[in-house]
Amino acid sequence: MTIFLQRILGISALLAALTLVSSGVFGDESTKALPPSPERIDLAHFPGEIIDKVVVPVPAEIFTVLDKLDESDWSREIEIPKQTDWGGDRSRMALTFGALVAEGFVAVQARSSSEIETIGRRVLTLGESLGLASSVRPHSLAIIEASNQKDWTKVRAELDATQETVRSTMEKLRDDELAGLISLGGWLRGTNVVTSLIGNAYSEEKAELLNQPGLITHFREMIAGMRGPSANSTHIRTIATGLARIEAIITDSEKLSEEDVIRLHDISQSTLEEFYFDKSGDAQPTPSVN
Amino acid sequence: MKLVSSIPAFCLAAVIAGGTLAYAYVNEAISVALEAAVPYVEQGFQVREDNWSGETTPGKPLLIRHQLFRGNEYWFWAGTSWPGATIEIAVFDSEGSSVGLEHFSRNGMAGVRVLPQKTGTYNLWVLPQYVKTGKGMTPAERGASDPVDGVGEFSGVLDWGVVYGYR
Repeated sequence: MTIFLQRILGISALLAALTLVSSGVFGDESTKALPPSPERIDLAHFPGEIIDKVVVPVPAEIFTVLDKLDESDWSREIEIPKQTDWGGDRSRMALTFGALVAEGFVAVQARSSSEIETIGRRVLTLGESLGLASSVRPHSLAIIEASNQKDWTKVRAELDATQETVRSTMEKLRDDELAGLISLGGWLRGTNVVTSLIGNAYSEEKAELLNQPGLITHFREMIAGMRGPSANSTHIRTIATGLARIEAIITDSEKLSEEDVIRLHDISQSTLEEFYFDKSGDAQPTPSVN
Repeated sequence: MKLVSSIPAFCLAAVIAGGTLAYAYVNEAISVALEAAVPYVEQGFQVREDNWSGETTPGKPLLIRHQLFRGNEYWFWAGTSWPGATIEIAVFDSEGSSVGLEHFSRNGMAGVRVLPQKTGTYNLWVLPQYVKTGKGMTPAERGASDPVDGVGEFSGVLDWGVVYGYR
């Protein structure tokens, strides 16, 4: 019996070794050839813990796909707004911060060192206004340096790091609402650029990139859950309405048409006019010196 | 939690900074996940700064919802820092079907590669596991295996972290 068991174990060990070698992924003894995870899971009755945290993709994740599908004129999409003094309105500052970082990703696609440098400086100024100069300064300098060296991968990483540093610092200061607004500002500007590019050269394949109902629900819930001083401000209410309209278009359409994409662009534009772009015809807050 | 990795966190931060990232600090499970990401950074994957992490009971699966875009290639890496613990990661579509194309799991870290066929919300499934060893075991369970110096007794929860990259 013992000999029989030894033989079985020996054969099993040999088969296991052959499987590991044939997998060739890492070639070490602990690599598994077949994933032990299930092939299917029941999402409606998940037996474990569902993690609440939403990681919002950076605009570069969509920009990368657009670049694979078509030649986009990124330089036409860069639109750095006038520097605005928001008079201590931290919610608008947070939204603008996120949108500026998104602008940086556009400038990277356009390979525009001068625009990236401007954005790097503006990010620092805004970081100072938010009381986070020491956290933002190293990133701002790194963005400018990498841009001068035309190291676009590094610029993208630093833009991501800048946003993450500011968001995590705000979360540590128990200012989760502002941290969420940074992500929202970036997402709105990213969507604004993507809808402009897709609207200019429409294809169903590109329009599919706008299928992001989970993110829109997340932002809507975030806005609805706001309890801070900005919760009832005009700009937050306008953004909430804009998100509801965006959600309606995306969830109602099986495939987004060219008209849908243009409508999405118009909505993102009007929400960005609450904190980023000039409102056409309306009085603007006093611009400060650049 | 103790760092199981052979690469200290500060070295890892420096390595990644040379590629694409500059971390001011990392928690230990994230540090392990980033260690798994290093070879892929060299292949052109841009690793995101934002990530997921926490603590959980061993054997309890975790589900994370995340937006993916068709046209991108993704790697998700998971890590746990407790010595002897393992972690698995897989990705499922909105119907609950596995969409991972390649997978590895070793030394408290795991990874899965995905090429989404549709743009939309996907589900990351993470399973940290631990079979008691060392001080956590009774003398009878332990047999010849002695507790590792400086590791201490298992507290009943495992740290976990997930990062991802795209190209």
